[in-house]
Amino acid sequence: MSWDIAGRTLTSRFFLGTANYPSPEVLQQAIVASGAQVVTMGLKRQLAHGSQASDFFSLIKATGAQLLPNTAGCRTAREAVTLAAMARELFDTHWIKLEVVGDEHTLQPDPFELLSATEQLVKDGFEVFPYCTDDLVTCRRLLDAGCNILMPWGAPIGSGQGLINPFALRTLRSRLPEVPLIVDAGIGSPADAVQAMELGMDAVLLNSAVAHAVDPVMMARAFRLGIESGRLAYEAGVMARQDMAVASTPVTGQPFLL
Amino acid sequence: MHIGIAGAGLLGRLLAFELARAGHKVEVFDPASGAEPQAGSPARAAGWTAAGMLSPVAELERAGEEVFQLGLRSCALWPGIVAALAQPVALTMNGSLLLAHRSDAGSAQRLIGLLQAKAAIHIHPQLLSRAELAQLEPAVNGPALAWLLPNEGLINPIQAMQALAAQATALGVHWHWQSAVNDLGNGALTCAGQARPRRFDHVFDVRGVGAKPALPVRGVRGEIIWLHAPGVQLKRPLRLMHPRISGYLVPRPDDIIVVGASEIESEDRSPISLRSTVELLTAAHSVIPELAEARMVHSETNLRPALPDNMPRIVNQPGITRINGLYRHGWLIAPALVERALLPMAGPDSEPAQAVNAMTASEVLS
Repeated sequence: MSWDIAGRTLTSRFFLGTANYPSPEVLQQAIVASGAQVVTMGLKRQLAHGSQASDFFSLIKATGAQLLPNTAGCRTAREAVTLAAMARELFDTHWIKLEVVGDEHTLQPDPFELLSATEQLVKDGFEVFPYCTDDLVTCRRLLDAGCNILMPWGAPIGSGQGLINPFALRTLRSRLPEVPLIVDAGIGSPADAVQAMELGMDAVLLNSAVAHAVDPVMMARAFRLGIESGRLAYEAGVMARQDMAVASTPVTGQPFLL
Repeated sequence: MHIGIAGAGLLGRLLAFELARAGHKVEVFDPASGAEPQAGSPARAAGWTAAGMLSPVAELERAGEEVFQLGLRSCALWPGIVAALAQPVALTMNGSLLLAHRSDAGSAQRLIGLLQAKAAIHIHPQLLSRAELAQLEPAVNGPALAWLLPNEGLINPIQAMQALAAQATALGVHWHWQSAVNDLGNGALTCAGQARPRRFDHVFDVRGVGAKPALPVRGVRGEIIWLHAPGVQLKRPLRLMHPRISGYLVPRPDDIIVVGASEIESEDRSPISLRSTVELLTAAHSVIPELAEARMVHSETNLRPALPDNMPRIVNQPGITRINGLYRHGWLIAPALVERALLPMAGPDSEPAQAVNAMTASEVLS
């Protein structure tokens, strides 16, 4: 069940974050258990002072997963653009997960700074993965600015609340059928990931739900199965709901209930 | 035996002291310029910067059973070590406090639950009433939730580093300062700029982050701030539990309170960032409002030496022993690690041998 994103063919629809694991070794094992082919990493605190890539990066690189650097911690378009340029130079990738936060308490994306950073980064040749809200018009503006991918939130980062607005995600799916949609942030349990995939999202990105589990490696596998299961269900076509019971074994004697 | 030690941090000093005490001839090599704290030196040993908390239970937040057992053993060993040092070293076992603001009760409960799941019942965190908290630490004002970890302690790392070196010197240890060791092998170590190795009966590699590439060690950046706060009384370490910031406050002599520590996957030794400063000091001020008029007298950045599994490791090979990966647990686990590492050199009936046999962590460390 391969799919294409930003010029790469992937078999996994699970993007994994790399922060807050008990150790790099547990992180490596979780990446393997997740089957993720793309992992994201925050660089703001590492690179802000112009320092070099650390051994931590090499440990992640050793898993063979593609690195998706992110700009977590940036509050302005200017900061994010500078950090993206540093990440491209250091990791030799033009992929960037663009995060520009507008509110400290909810870590909600700032749509205006996000749009302005996107315009610049697209001009500079980046493949922008924008972490955005689920607002349809904002998403359209990002596409107009040259994004090929959208990463709407499920809920605030690290909150583990699941999909707080499934209606908005359904709307994005139906109005933007050709655009790869990756639900990013807010996923708490594998059930949330199944729900996102059944809605027709192309992939799920998460971090805390795995890193903060008592057993992160086992939880990575749980999410892998959930994401696969949800995608299969979406492609197989979930039956429509109805109120009347329908026996799976045919019964006779009562052709109609009136 | 004639012993060479590469590294004069906490492990190097403890090893030198213990080996000299056991009658061995010991030489220690380190790039630092001397045994005293080198203010402003860019690459000083991590032990100088650490808080010195002896918190086996609180560290279960990140660590597993191995570090926990080593921590318990070290807490039992420290009083005897300190008593054998001529210079004074402050060592207290008054417990430590875990604190949380009411709005962060959820994340505090998550941590308390984790500690309860990992630690034996008799050392579980004890929930304190407001009156009990006020009696233990009158300066704390703000956090509504507090737990006491009664058996935890605090050592003064700067005093201990100096006293260990002084005692080792008195026992005949020879120090080679400004001597970085580039290479170690079976009974040999080679200093930077020297063509020929020096020969010993046995060598120890305790260079921390400096042991690259012999060990897959990486540095994890930590930042701390010293506050001068006359009149603010603090008797024991405090840890604030918060969804985003993990901060501690630790009392030192002369009205100093040390606030730490960030944890960043980077080997950047540049000075503390504004963000870490704001986060750490906000956390500290929210716990002890009186700190508003404290003076920021010092800040420091250092690297914790960590292995990929963030656990300590002793590697024994013919003529050479490497100890590394103490990460954020150096003062908590060093005595037990040294005891374990020296086991092959002690007789079968020696006291430490019996002590270590009682430890459950030994297989992880081999």
